[in-house]
Amino acid sequence: MSELIVFLIAFPVVVSGVLLVVTKGNIRNALVVGACVVVAAASLITVFTFGNGNALFFGLPGGVTPGHLVLVMDAAIAVFIVVVSLQNGRVVAPIMAAAQLGIALYLDLGGHLPDPDPSRLFWFDRLTMVMVLVIGIVGPLICIHALGYMRDYQRSNPMIRGRRTSFFFLLFLFLGAMFGLVVSNDLPMMSVFWEITTICSFLLIGYTRTEETIGYAFDALNMNLLGGLGFSVAMLLLSGQPDGMDLARLTAGPAGAALLPAIALLCLAGITKSAQMPFSSWLLGAMYAPSPTSALLHSSTMVKAGVFLLLRLSPAMAGSAVGMMVAFVGLLTFLFASMVAVTERNTKKVLAYSTIGSLGLIVGCAGIGTPELVWVGVMIVIFHAVAKALLFLVVGTLENRLYTKDMENFDTLLSRMPRVSALALTGIAGMFIAPFGIVVAKWTAIRAFLEVPGFEGATFLIIMAFGSSLTIFYWGKLLIKILSMRSIEPYERSVEDRVTRYEWFAEIVLAVGVVGIAAGLGWISDHVVGPYALAAFSATPRVFLNLSPAMIIVMLVAVLFLPALALWASRRSDYDLADFYTSGRTANAGHLMGAALGGTRTVTLRNYYLEGVIDGSLVFRSGTAVCGVILAGMVLVGLVVRA
Amino acid sequence: MNPLAYGLLFVVVAPIFGGLLAGVDRIVSARMQGRIGPPLLQPFYDVGKLFQKEARQVNPVVEPLLLGHVGFMAAAGALALGGTDLIFIAFVFALAALCLVLAAGSVNSPYSFAGAERELVVLLASEPFFILMLAAICKVTSASTFAGVLASPVMVALELPGVLLAFLFVATIKLRKSPFDISTSHHPHQELVNGLTSDMSGRLLAYVEMAHWYESALLCAFVVLFFNWSVPLGLLAFAIAYGLEVLVDNSTSRAKWQLVLRSTWAVTLLFTGGNVLALFLLGR
Amino acid sequence: MPMSLFKRSPWILHYDGSSCNGCDIEVLACLTPLYDVERFGVVNTGNPKHADILLVTGSVNERNIEIIQNLYRQMPDPKVVVAVGACACSGGIFARAYNIQGGIDQVVPVDVYVPGCAARPESIIDGVVSGIAALEQKRKRSA
Ligand code: SF4
Repeated sequence: MSELIVFLIAFPVVVSGVLLVVTKGNIRNALVVGACVVVAAASLITVFTFGNGNALFFGLPGGVTPGHLVLVMDAAIAVFIVVVSLQNGRVVAPIMAAAQLGIALYLDLGGHLPDPDPSRLFWFDRLTMVMVLVIGIVGPLICIHALGYMRDYQRSNPMIRGRRTSFFFLLFLFLGAMFGLVVSNDLPMMSVFWEITTICSFLLIGYTRTEETIGYAFDALNMNLLGGLGFSVAMLLLSGQPDGMDLARLTAGPAGAALLPAIALLCLAGITKSAQMPFSSWLLGAMYAPSPTSALLHSSTMVKAGVFLLLRLSPAMAGSAVGMMVAFVGLLTFLFASMVAVTERNTKKVLAYSTIGSLGLIVGCAGIGTPELVWVGVMIVIFHAVAKALLFLVVGTLENRLYTKDMENFDTLLSRMPRVSALALTGIAGMFIAPFGIVVAKWTAIRAFLEVPGFEGATFLIIMAFGSSLTIFYWGKLLIKILSMRSIEPYERSVEDRVTRYEWFAEIVLAVGVVGIAAGLGWISDHVVGPYALAAFSATPRVFLNLSPAMIIVMLVAVLFLPALALWASRRSDYDLADFYTSGRTANAGHLMGAALGGTRTVTLRNYYLEGVIDGSLVFRSGTAVCGVILAGMVLVGLVVRA
Repeated sequence: MNPLAYGLLFVVVAPIFGGLLAGVDRIVSARMQGRIGPPLLQPFYDVGKLFQKEARQVNPVVEPLLLGHVGFMAAAGALALGGTDLIFIAFVFALAALCLVLAAGSVNSPYSFAGAERELVVLLASEPFFILMLAAICKVTSASTFAGVLASPVMVALELPGVLLAFLFVATIKLRKSPFDISTSHHPHQELVNGLTSDMSGRLLAYVEMAHWYESALLCAFVVLFFNWSVPLGLLAFAIAYGLEVLVDNSTSRAKWQLVLRSTWAVTLLFTGGNVLALFLLGR
Repeated sequence: MPMSLFKRSPWILHYDGSSCNGCDIEVLACLTPLYDVERFGVVNTGNPKHADILLVTGSVNERNIEIIQNLYRQMPDPKVVVAVGACACSGGIFARAYNIQGGIDQVVPVDVYVPGCAARPESIIDGVVSGIAALEQKRKRSA
């Protein structure tokens, strides 16, 4: 097992190093595809050798410990941040990086860090398994997609200097760091991987190196460094505790009053990384990165590192004030982000808000911390990773072909790009079509909220009711646009033929994955997520998901309905696309309508964005303020209590 | 009788119930306007005729989506009576409504599109209420199924007066009654033409009508949940509520969607949310 | 073939061409409590996609030819046209006006002509009943 884990971490890093020196396109493509196959195979093998599913702890082969390597890495990261920031004239990031390095130096050289148990460096259980599969299957698919996407991206954005070499270097480096992050049991080691993902994200957001994107990159860096600083301070607080650096022991049960301040700081780290309010703005800025980056880092894996940590901490904070505050931050983020999504036209931003919202649900579930809700959280992690990655990739494909991200321009997509539409519809169905996927999770969450007593339970319920209705609204609008049809010109039909085979492959596999997960819902619950939730809380066995055959039928019909419909409809020709009612005036398929004085007018059908009822930026700012106050309260009270 | 049989019974009986209800509705409306009105079976004649007419396909996705609309609406009712978790029903109910929105929205006609967008607003306005209502009913009765609620000794309406009041309000939306008939209308010559259904002809329109029958039957079943100690009392309550809806329908004019959204959310938050909060605080 | 339900549920689309509005008032009178045609299942739909009978008052002019043709075309089969009033039948007192083309039958096939200036509600209802008979014939023919 330990060799496999080391391979999973080291192999992508080695590949990334090689990619840095390979500049020829064909060799790079072959290398990336080969490496992706190896990563996917290695993660599958790792999962299959995992055994009976009980938690495993192990160290490096030969019982070595990382020793001062952690400190060296910390120092390298800090120096890198300081240099890059100062080059760009930023001062906030270097201060935080320096503070982090100071803490690391103090802990390591001051001898305050207990020697890690060489047999407990890594922790592999069912949650790790889920994360390894997400990183090891979805990650490579996105890398393959990027081969096709980036070629066209450079073509349609010629002013951006080609930096594809560093792009793929960063993607693979990131994959290695993610594997390291999810298998670490030793907090200092985890924090190194944590920081590497931060830096990869920073560099990828700033990929185009325009004034604008560099600004967003630094926003992301600052916020994530704040979280990283929280992580460091938490380690500082924990350094005096026995087993303080052992994540599994730390989270074995409810944390005592002495540990809670440190837990709160770790939660802060998780909340920044998963872009919860008040830190959501960095994820929106991150949407300016190329779409594969958004798919990989900012929806399916890196932001999941944040919720992964929170889910890990869930048993420790369950029932405490810290847990409640985390839950409020998460659920309020879900509500506010969904509200803003309703007012947004840019499809990538809608996806970003939806991501923030879904992560908010997971954070909320982790904060309340019952076995049912942790079950819900892990379920959403799975659904969301696959379906949202698919959606981001599809939007990336559309963006390169239609030169737009505006939802309104996806009008009549079904006629223009039927197969891509079917893929988009699969993703959307996976995200929200009742009663599949996340909706099953929401349903279970509502059931669980009924058991939460007092003010909190009622509030969670109300937030959930409004939040999920809002998601119907913004997905519904997108669906309407995709499903409309008109007769198209031959040149429009050829647009779809220019989608590269890399993109087709990645998107189709993910779409099949969405349907597969729908079909295997019960199995996943019974064998993976359910046992994990029980083990995390040492709870009495119970059935989490009780699906009757009728419900399974309704669910499968629901998920296959729209994509099948799209494929079928695009082949039909016995209907009259021009023949819609416009008060008797002649309106043709190109949406020209006879108007007064013999002229013609173009018919434009524009979605509702609820102007005048919901003010997006106001909602965003108030959400940021409210969650900011809660979070500041949580951290400060913790620190004061501790002092 | 086992729950599955109740579910099947719903599929068969609900359209008859809903159709008759629509017939009574039209007669009562006519009487309120000093007219005699159509025969009781008029809605069935209409739907029958629609099946005998040509169905113009404007967009090939419309017909399957409308079949989905009827199908999921019937499934929602059948699953509810068939012993499925009630909260799950709220989501199937929303899916059924969404199918109608997509069918109308995917047509390029301005009227149909406006109707679809407004129906989406209606869905956004009413969905939180239905989730909260079903959750609250499950909470007070500690049951999760229809039969479970009926068997519970707790008198739901007495525990949830606020929710019941809000139901009256929100039902106006779901029954597409004025002033909340923003997405479609049976009355012609208005800014919307027929809104959602403007471009549906022949059997396509018949599907919408039938789905509406299922929907009314499901709403009736929801009212019965409130009066779980006596089903006849529940039916009576539904009759009274429906009569009120018809009266309001005949005496008000259509509201703007902004008002519909704001007022429904306010009512949901104040009455339903308040009631739910009280339940949780009192530890019921 | 099952029993035809058209006679129990004739839905009407009322289109006002170049009329003086006299006939339109009479058409609306049919809906009032005095005549209450809804007793016979008649609905004034306002939408060609839902209608069985196109009821036209007033004559055809240069500008509404396109409209009448579009409305007629958009009605699903079977369908009939009832021309109500002298104007709709032949152009009426406006027949010689510079912009008038004549009766409705200049642009779409008319099945029933209802005379009068203005046509009385009784005769309009009678025209609709005749229209239903024509509808029935068309349905049989296409079946
Ligand atoms: S027939 Fe007579 S009443 Fe009717 S529209 Fe013509 S002029 Fe007016």
